[in-house]
This record gives sequence, C-alpha cells and structure tokens, in this order.
Amino acid sequence: MEDLWFELLFFLEVLFSGLLTGSLYSLVALGFVLIFKASGVFNFAQGAMMLFAALSLVGFQEMLGVHWTVAFLLAFAVMIVLAWCVEKFVLGKLVNQEPIILFMATIGITFFLDGFGQTVWGSDIKVLDIGLPTGSFDMGGIFIDKLELVAGATAAGLVFVLAVFFNKTKIGRALRAVADDHQAAMSVGISLRYIWIVVWSVAGLVGLVAGIMWGSKLGVQFSLSLIALKALPVLMLGGFTSIPGAIIGGLIIGSGEKLAEIYIGPFVGGAIENWFAYMLALVFLLFRPQGLFGEKIIERV
Amino acid sequence: MEEQNRQIGDVLLAVEDISLSFGAVRAISDVSFNIKKGEIRAIIGPNGAGKTSMLNCINGFYHPQQGTISYKGITRNQMKPYEAAAQGIGRTFQNVALFKGMSTLDNIMTGRNLKMKSSLLSSVIWWGAAQKEELEHRRFVEDIIDFLEIEAIRKTPVGRLPYGLQKRVELGRALAAEPELLLLDEPMAGMNLEEKEDMCRFILDVNDEFGTTICLIEHDMGVVMDISDRVMVLDYGGKIADGTPEEVRADQNVIDAYLGGGH
Amino acid sequence: MFYREAGQFKSSYKEDQAVFPILQDRIGVGITLAIAFIGIPLFGGEYFISAIMIPFLILALAAIGLNILTGYAGQISLGTGGFMAVGAFAAYKFATWTIVIGQFEGTIPLVLTILLSGVVAAIVGILFGIPSLRIKGFYLAVATLAAQFFIEWVLVKFGWFTNYSPSGIITAPKLEILGYVFSSPAEKYILTLSFVVVLAMAAKNLVRSHIGRGWMAIRDMDIAAEIIGFKPLQTKLSAFAVSSFFCGVAGALWAFIHLGTVEPEAFGINRSFSILFMVIIGGMGSIMGAFIGAAFILLLPIFLSNVPPMIGWDIGVDMVAHMEFMIFGALIIFFLIVEPHGLARLWSIGKEKLRSWPFPY
Repeated sequence: MEDLWFELLFFLEVLFSGLLTGSLYSLVALGFVLIFKASGVFNFAQGAMMLFAALSLVGFQEMLGVHWTVAFLLAFAVMIVLAWCVEKFVLGKLVNQEPIILFMATIGITFFLDGFGQTVWGSDIKVLDIGLPTGSFDMGGIFIDKLELVAGATAAGLVFVLAVFFNKTKIGRALRAVADDHQAAMSVGISLRYIWIVVWSVAGLVGLVAGIMWGSKLGVQFSLSLIALKALPVLMLGGFTSIPGAIIGGLIIGSGEKLAEIYIGPFVGGAIENWFAYMLALVFLLFRPQGLFGEKIIERV
Repeated sequence: MEEQNRQIGDVLLAVEDISLSFGAVRAISDVSFNIKKGEIRAIIGPNGAGKTSMLNCINGFYHPQQGTISYKGITRNQMKPYEAAAQGIGRTFQNVALFKGMSTLDNIMTGRNLKMKSSLLSSVIWWGAAQKEELEHRRFVEDIIDFLEIEAIRKTPVGRLPYGLQKRVELGRALAAEPELLLLDEPMAGMNLEEKEDMCRFILDVNDEFGTTICLIEHDMGVVMDISDRVMVLDYGGKIADGTPEEVRADQNVIDAYLGGGH
Repeated sequence: MFYREAGQFKSSYKEDQAVFPILQDRIGVGITLAIAFIGIPLFGGEYFISAIMIPFLILALAAIGLNILTGYAGQISLGTGGFMAVGAFAAYKFATWTIVIGQFEGTIPLVLTILLSGVVAAIVGILFGIPSLRIKGFYLAVATLAAQFFIEWVLVKFGWFTNYSPSGIITAPKLEILGYVFSSPAEKYILTLSFVVVLAMAAKNLVRSHIGRGWMAIRDMDIAAEIIGFKPLQTKLSAFAVSSFFCGVAGALWAFIHLGTVEPEAFGINRSFSILFMVIIGGMGSIMGAFIGAAFILLLPIFLSNVPPMIGWDIGVDMVAHMEFMIFGALIIFFLIVEPHGLARLWSIGKEKLRSWPFPY
C-alpha cells in the first residue's frame, strides 16, 4: 500500500515536472504561432531570437551594471530594432513569395543571428540571474521546481494577455487579416510593414521571456536556440495558428516526453527524448491533420 | 442550332435525391436529375446555387450525405476522384486549375496519365518502351493542340498565358483523357465574344465528332439556350426547373429567381 | 550569335523531346563530360579531387534526391540526413555480410551493395512518406524531422548496425570491383563520377516521364491532379521512394568513398538543412540546379575561410566561424531575394539572353 502511494506520488511529480517543462515549450511555440498567424511565415529563427534576446539581457546587465528590469527593457528595445531590420531587409523584399522561400529566409536569419550574437556578446556560457527563485518545494510529498512554477505562471499570464490582444484590439484584428490574405489586407489599407514589425516585436518579447526562463534553467548558450526544435512538435500538435493550441500542445508534449522517458525509456535503452515528442505529434496528426486547434482548410475547386 | 444526326441515348449519369452540407451550410438539397448519353446538358442558376458543388459530387470530390449517384448503371458510393476519372469522367474548373509550373504541352500530357502505363523502371531507362509510349501519346496530344488551335503556345508555361487561352488549355487537358462525360464549369467565363464563339465551336465539335456527353455550367444565356439539349436550374441548392431550353426560359420560377424581367 | 536555335529544325517529336535539343547545348555537355572524366583526374590536384570534387558529386546526388521530393513533388522534407544514414548503414551491413551457399562463400559486389542500400533507403522513405497522404505543408516538414531524429536514434542505439563494434567507429570496407581496388583519389573520383552521371541521367529521364509530370501535378494542384486521375497515394509514395533511393545511395557513397567511415554524426539535422539549401539555392525542380546548389554550398565555407587571410585580414579563428555564420545567413537571404527560383533560373535566363546576343532582345 505504501509502495502504491509512493508510485502515485512519483508519477504526479513526473507529470507536474513535465507539464511545467511543457509550459516552457509553449512559450517558445507561442512565438512561432504569433508570427505564423500574422504573416504566414514559419519562423525558424524563433530559437535564435530567443538566444539573442537572452544574450542581450545578460550583456546589458553585465556591461552596464543595471537592474534586470532596465536590462529587460533594453533587450526588448533591441528586439524591436531587430524586428524592424527583419522587415526591412528580409520580409519586405520577399512579399508574396511561396512559404518555403520565406521559411528558408528565416533559416538564413537564424544563421545570421547566431553568428552576430556570438560576435557581439561572445560565445561562452553566461549565467542568467534575474532573481528568479531556485530549488524546489515540497507540496504534500511532491517536489515542485520553483523556477518551473514561475515559468508556468508567466506563460499563462502572457498567453492571456496575447489572447486579449489578438481578439479584442484593433491591431489584433488587423493582424488576423494579414494572416489570412496579404493582398486583401493591403487593399483595405492595412500597412503590412507596420503589422509585421509589430508582430515580430511581440514575438521578440515572447522570445525574450522564454529566453529568460530557459536561460535561468540552462544558462545562456548556443544550445538554447536548439530548444526551438523541441517547440516544433508542439506546433504540430496544437496547430500552427492557434495560441490555445500552443499551450495545450506544450503541456501534452512536455508531460508525454517526461513520462515516456521515465516509464518507457528503460525498456528501449533510454534517450528517447530526442524523438518521442515528434513521434507523438506525428501519430496525432494522422488523426487530425491540422493539429488540435489548427484551422481546418475546406478545399475548394 | 441545326439538329445534327446526334444520337442521344440512354441515361448515362443519374443523380437521385442528393443532399450535401458543409457543417451547418446546406449546399445542395434533394436534387435529382439525369444526363443522357450524347447530349449537352446545362446547369444554370444564380451564384451560390450549388452548381459547382454538384459537379464536385459527380467527380467524387465531395461526398453527399444523402442520395445516390449512378454512372453507367452502377451506383457508386464514396467514389474517389481518381476512380471517377478512370471511369471516364473529365472536368474543367471554374478557377482554371492548370499546373502552373508546367508548359501547355505538359499540362495536356498530364491528361493522358490514365493511359500511360510505363513502369518506374522503364521510365528510368527511357530509351525503349517508355519513350515509345511517350511519343505515341505526344501524337495524340498534338492532335488536340491542333484541334484547339493552340500550337503557338505549346511550350509556354501556362502561368504566362492570358485567361482565355488558359481555359482552352484546360479543355485540352480534359479532352486528352478521352472522357465519356465531360463536366465543364463556366468554360466561357471572362471571355470576349470571339473567344466564346470559338469555345462554343470546340464544345459542339467535341460532342459531335467524339460523341462525348457534355454537362456544362454557364451564365451566358445565349450560349446555354443555343447549344444545350436540356437545362436544369438550381437555386439555393434546390432544383427549380428541368427541361428543354424553351421550357426553362418560359418557366416563371426561373424568371423570378434568375433570368429577371419580372420585378 | 553563337547560341542560337535558328536553323536547327526538329522533324520529329522524338528530336523535340531530347534533353538537349539545341546543338550548342549538346556540345557544351560533351565538353563538360570530357573535362569531368578525363581532364580532372589527369590534371586535378589531390586536395581538389578529394576535398572538393568528390563531396561535390555526392552531395549533388543527395540534392537531386531531395529535389525530386521537394522540388518536383512539392513535399517539404527535412529528413534527408536520415535517409542518407539509412543508405550508409545498409551498405555497411550488406558489405559485411558473408553469404555461404554450399561451397561458395563471398560478399555482395560493391556496385550491387550500393544500389541495394538505396533500395533499403527507399523502403524506409516509403514508410515515412505514408503520413504525407494526410499531412501537408509545414506539418509534413516537421513530421519528416521525426524521421530524422528517430533514424538517428535507432542507428546509434542498436549495435547490430555497427556489427557490435566496441569503439563505435566503423571503417568502411575496401572499394573493390572485380579485383580492381579503387584507392587513389583519382580512382575514387572516377567511381563516384560514374555513379553520379548514371543516376543523374536516370533522374532526368524520370522527371520528364509521366511519373515526373504526376509529381509536378501533385505539387501544383493536388486536388485537380486527383480529379483528372492521378492517384495521390502512388504518386506521393513514388516520390518518397525515388528520392530516398538517391539519398541512400549518396549516403553510402559518402561513407564509403568520402569519409572512409560509417558514422551517424555525418548525417544529422545539419546535413538535412545543408542539402535543403542546395536545392533551394540551386533551384527547385531542376536537376542541374542540384549541381549548382551543391557547388555553391560546398565552396562557400572554403571561400569564406580562405579569402580573409588572402587579403591580409587577420581575425581570430573563433571570429571567423561566427562571421562565416553571419555571411552564410546573409547570402542565403540575398539569393532568395534576388532569384527565389534559384541559380538554375539565373542560368536559364542567362542562356536566353545569350540567344539574342549581341542584340539586346
């Protein structure tokens, strides 16, 4: 009886940890969804943006010795400048190209940002410390990591704000129009340029927050941009165009991955984290090709 | 139009009590009609009446929730589009659905796909069986190109062609499959008078020379009344008239809903 | 003036359909092949042949494979590295498989080994291509990543693939055909060249056949394609199969001829992206584009690391790596803006201009 209870507690611990990690994935996926929703671009550079934002934050903290809130604002300003540059030099020149071309362009941005970030801020691992709590606390026998909890709460808050933004504000509506049809949106007077800068800035902000969370957890280093690869199954599962999808997808992937590693991993030699998330999403897609909340496309001829 | 010695035979396609919905939207409600072999059948009606959806059902692209479709006497349920094509049903589309990355010639050659049997291995080796088959079909396609008078543009990528020519190429692609039943969705939309006359001529020739049964959706009343044997009128997904052009023209329901003149 | 079709009449459809209908093109190809088969082995330096020509050819082959899937059939794939890995390991297993029939004991001949490894890759490709019937676009691209990561994991986890080698490093077997051992760079080059030329020709034949048209039809408008009779299942799976075959053979060649070892690291996600770049920059839907793209992507890092010292610009090694990243990224974006249809399109535009040279149009 004791054993069973212990097993249950352990399961819940793994589950919780997975859910919280999942919310971290969701944060990253959120950036993707925003950009895809509003500009139809699959932004592979989201991970690099996250890294760059985190690097900038730490860089400003170290260089200028300021409080992290100031560094945060400075880093956000940097992301806005980045958004402007991306619009001017990349997106603006590739209007109406096929999606795969835009996707490849974002890969180009990834390379550029990676190199640029490391040129400017150096390539050693940096410690990101903005005073987030560390360690874990005991909740009735289940250990919960404090950092992960804060991250989860932040993610939830951010999502709420973004959802309101998209659905209730004028800009949000314009963003949705642009996502649907660039030319139609232009024809009703929506400035694509402005919208794209806004979206990429918001995605940059989301990336900054995600970068802070992941950076606090892992340190700010190159591998941070590879976290983006983990967000992809989340997108597959939740749908590329859905904010709630990114959340729920993240939770499912995060918990699924953790549970699989603990419970199935030992049978197949471990290290299944690399591909389990993808397989899970793949199988799911077979039943629902547009993801949980993705838009179902009714094809017409 | 003079009545040629066209043989209008038995029922080729029979549609019984078809209803089609997309979620809460009813596209077609309880429509029944038939198409006889060798005839030119028109489907007319205001926009949104369900005409294209009806053709899509015949092609097997949409599957109606209710009702049956029988082709050549055999009732088919849930038929896949490529199966319909294999049975001899050809199609052109309202918004020209040509393969933009290919030339005119290649597009029409895709219409021959069902007749091309070369295996993968044979195609890889090319010289020999695959080449021979390709040349055979090329000959056939060139005949169609002659027929439609589009020799000059055969190597042009179709994306560069004006709309009227694209529609002609699309007709060529449909003809390449040697269909028994040809479904044409607004083949003359966006054309000027001369182009329309050409298109009419092609359609009549196809029906006359090859005996192809034609079912067309068209908005130009002059064309419809001139070339069709029978006309069906759809409105809001339902059938409001069915008969010869003269009968339909005089039908009060049709005048109210579509032809106008009563208000 | 020189590059004209005037006066070259085609009197049959057969002539019209030839791969190189213009005489000047045929001469050009002839010269290129002569240089490739004779000139380079005779005059090319060892470094040039081993470090540039051989990888160029093999990667071009992989790029042809990916081009078939993504460029012609329109199915975005990020799993190229995985399929190459399958080919490499399959080739290793076939090559180390001693067959005993009665008194006869031997191994499978080299050429057959490599072709068979392609077939194995094709089968794996079909398996991972099945989702493409339900999943489209970027969803499919991400699904192919599943293939990439899963294949990588399987090949590392299960010792059977490396014949339970304790060190984990496997040397590729000798390259031997009918007793003749290919050991010098020039010999290996000729072997690679032969494979690549034959397979490139095969690819060209396929894409201009009705099978190739089927792929392009599915790419351009899959619904219309189905309505006029193309079976989506067969068309898509055949694209996956053929594409994976090419990638598998490329993987086998990469391991056996270029690296000399069979290791999964060479076929990771970076490889997949690198080949995708080749396809995009070279030109999607173009066999020649695969070659151009491969040359570009291969030569760029070499160029970037050799040029700064040449102009006396001394930056630290680290810095060079970072700057390479930046320049690489910038160049990709540049090319995508200037010619999204790739260098192959620039090439054919150039040829068109050449047709009317010296007149402006």
